[in-house]
Amino acid sequence: MTQTHDKRFMLTQGVFIFIYLAVLTGLEFFIAVAFNAVPLLVVVALVKAALVAYYYMHVYKLNAEHEGEEGSYEYKSGTNRLGLWLFLISDSFVFGGLMIMRVNLLGLTRPELNQFLGLGVTAVLLISSFFMNRGETLINNGDRKGFLANTAITFVLGLGFLLGVVLVEWRLAIEEGLTPSSGPAGAAFFMMTGMHAFHVFTGLILLAIVWLNGRRGLYDQKNYPVEAAAVYWHFVDVVWIFFYPALYLIGTVIG
Amino acid sequence: MRNTNTLGRGLLLLVIGGVLGYGIGLGIDLLVSGTLNFSGSVASAFGLLLAVTAFFFGLYGYRGITRGLVWQVVGTLLGGFFVTGIRALVGSPTIFGAFFFSEPAWVFGALVGVVSFIFGVGVVDDWMKWARGIDTPEHHEDEPGWGKYFGVSLDHKVIGIQYTVTALALIAIGGTFALIFRTELAASQLQFLTTTFKLFNQTGPQIFNTLMSLHGIMMIISILLGISGIMNYVVPMIVGAHDMAFPRMNAFAYWVAVPASVLLLMSLVLGGFDTGWTGYPPLSARAPVGMQMFFLGVFTAGWSSILGSLNVIATVVRMRAKGMSAMRLPIFVWASIATSIIALTATQLIGLSFQLVMFQRLFGMGFFDAAKGGNPVLFQHLFWFYSHPAVYVFVLPGLGVISELLPVFVRKPLFGYRWVAMSSLAIALVGFTVWAHHMFTSGMNEYLRVPFMYSTLLVAVPTGVKFFSWVATLWGGKIETPTPMLFVLGAILVFLMGGLTGPPNATVSTDLHLHDTYFIVGHFHDTIFGGFVFPFFAALYYWFPKATGRRMNEFWGKVHFWMMTPSFFVLTLGMMRVGLLGMRRRIVDYDPALGLDASHLIMTIAAFLIGLSVLIFFINLFYSMKHGEKAEGNLWNSRSPEWQVPSSMYVHNYKVPFEVVGEPYDYGLPGSKYVEFMSEKKH
Repeated sequence: MTQTHDKRFMLTQGVFIFIYLAVLTGLEFFIAVAFNAVPLLVVVALVKAALVAYYYMHVYKLNAEHEGEEGSYEYKSGTNRLGLWLFLISDSFVFGGLMIMRVNLLGLTRPELNQFLGLGVTAVLLISSFFMNRGETLINNGDRKGFLANTAITFVLGLGFLLGVVLVEWRLAIEEGLTPSSGPAGAAFFMMTGMHAFHVFTGLILLAIVWLNGRRGLYDQKNYPVEAAAVYWHFVDVVWIFFYPALYLIGTVIG
Repeated sequence: MRNTNTLGRGLLLLVIGGVLGYGIGLGIDLLVSGTLNFSGSVASAFGLLLAVTAFFFGLYGYRGITRGLVWQVVGTLLGGFFVTGIRALVGSPTIFGAFFFSEPAWVFGALVGVVSFIFGVGVVDDWMKWARGIDTPEHHEDEPGWGKYFGVSLDHKVIGIQYTVTALALIAIGGTFALIFRTELAASQLQFLTTTFKLFNQTGPQIFNTLMSLHGIMMIISILLGISGIMNYVVPMIVGAHDMAFPRMNAFAYWVAVPASVLLLMSLVLGGFDTGWTGYPPLSARAPVGMQMFFLGVFTAGWSSILGSLNVIATVVRMRAKGMSAMRLPIFVWASIATSIIALTATQLIGLSFQLVMFQRLFGMGFFDAAKGGNPVLFQHLFWFYSHPAVYVFVLPGLGVISELLPVFVRKPLFGYRWVAMSSLAIALVGFTVWAHHMFTSGMNEYLRVPFMYSTLLVAVPTGVKFFSWVATLWGGKIETPTPMLFVLGAILVFLMGGLTGPPNATVSTDLHLHDTYFIVGHFHDTIFGGFVFPFFAALYYWFPKATGRRMNEFWGKVHFWMMTPSFFVLTLGMMRVGLLGMRRRIVDYDPALGLDASHLIMTIAAFLIGLSVLIFFINLFYSMKHGEKAEGNLWNSRSPEWQVPSSMYVHNYKVPFEVVGEPYDYGLPGSKYVEFMSEKKH
């Protein structure tokens, strides 16, 4: 397989996965509005997460065979990859705990939130994952300009998501009377979105670092840092894939 | 010579710094509150911080740990004043709190302090360079001598020793706390921790509660650091790696535990906390600011545990020597993997549960506030999801040490290697399903009780496998009893006691009676001494020659063992006795009509004997570092690779890599070999 073929294949794959994700998100919204079927929503979220984990975060690379001698950059990147995934497993326990908290406190009810805005920020984060994947594919094929452009788009979209949640959504919620101290719904909402926003924020820092270093001319050969930042960014997306239905879609609105 | 001089200077500065800090604190308190409060918190906090900082300054100069501590103090103050300033700007009615800063200011300040320490000590220097696109060499040379232990080093052996020494320091502090409140319990009525007693703005009984709570958490953190110390030192060596997989993260994981320990000590002076180490709301939602320092301290120390275990797993998966297949791994490595799986994942849940209480206090988020629709039992679920498996984190490495050392001193193969290896993993996995057995009386749903009872009893099965293996290994062996082996045998005996007293607590019908009595305290101390403390001492006596090239004094080692073990049995059997007779745990006083005074007096004497034996151990340890008998060869006649090369080890462990060619524990089998060093030529 030649490199250009590989590049084109990867880019096309990225587009297809994005289309699947977009369709599934639409389906998710439709299921919630039309049937309010929680098991179906869980299935859709799991499928979305699996798509991102496999095609965008390429979890299969953990099982790579030809990694070269111990001490080579390749082998060390493999070790780093394992370390990063272990960290993500650890981190997912925080979000799992938050999910348990939400289920325990709210059950099958949810706070009243701005549905349009919720779908909007979700779309923004998904699109940012698409561009992140493009950026990573391009730097793997030596296209620095394309990498910088796509990472910059990812950063802007990510920032849009962060501001959309923290500045717009939070303010709207507080205006509606849903404050951190107003009750379990408010506490769960602000804690979950806050913890996720913190991870988005750290992801933005990582994106900024790889973008600046990419502009300095790094990552011609040793481009594992880009992969790490990308995998982390997609992980943040995966978390939102579960948090979005948990906060916006499942159950009935509490009055 | 230089050593004693610098130590003297450090101690002198300790006193000066303490007095100076106390004076500053007294002055600040006078300015804010208008009265001189000699036993108050602010003066004590400043005194404590400046004393510690000045001590390390005298010992080591302004670098490494000293710079970290200075930055932590400055960071805490800056963060505190920042929030205080904001409160003043928005016109908050209370700008200052009961302990100088208000609670949000203390929390933010403490957080800034921890981050400042990390930057000050210099453990993130390389990462910061990488972020700016600057490459750094893979390894940094350590300075020769003892200085490297007080600054950032990337060598896993140095970090292992740093962990171990910190753990020993915390054990000493936590043990002292225990002796203080044990003395108060020696007789009924209030002896010296009376209601008129005042220290750090707390009365005697409040100090009792704080010391009792701090004893718990200090010991837990010291255990976490202790197992990290042994794992850090031993695991890369016995799997044939030149270092841990991520040396910088390894150093980071250690150094983040130091500001965490400072925060825990700060909680003592900032009003303390009276919840015990479990920190249940609603009580923890109302306790003084010390509670927040406790939460932050545990949260920070949790990161040390998480990142350390991540490192262990990655090291074992990626950096084993040639030929070291899964079934030829030393048992200690299996145990480390099992413990790391729990620590890596479940630790997040204690961090989360404490964080939620923190936010409940700061922002009024009613997670656990029933008045706001929250659920206090939810906290217990989140908390115990870590804190029960945590005891397996504590004991699994210790049980691994027992299995690792036993064949060496019995001179015969470990019985049932595969079963022992798998039993560690089994304990770890079953451990995830047992947490709610702490909550049989908490008012959780009743249908949950029986499943959790059975899952808890299931833990006895893999633990039993280990016991059978130990007994069968001992059977018919040529048993030698140098000090490490004594501690291994002691561990087996004590852990047996802990194991047998477990099922009554796991069974719902008996636990309803035993819950929150001293019986639990006795059971817990048995499991932790058997599973951690005894094996930890065994490991220290065993690997001390590897680290220093000298061995610890045998005679005083045996005195340590023979003084500690009987006293320990008296103490914990006494605890269980008074528990069955109705003594509740975590209380400063008990009814003389219970007739427990004599038992408590005996227990207190036993506790002091344990303290004395540990003191002997400390003296032996420090004396033997310089003056111990030289032991540079294979002192214990072990098959393990680290003993095949002279002590102490080179910086990157093995000059010549080795290959695993046989089973690890085939002691006494003629002609069998575990490792074979590749000759220089072949390499």
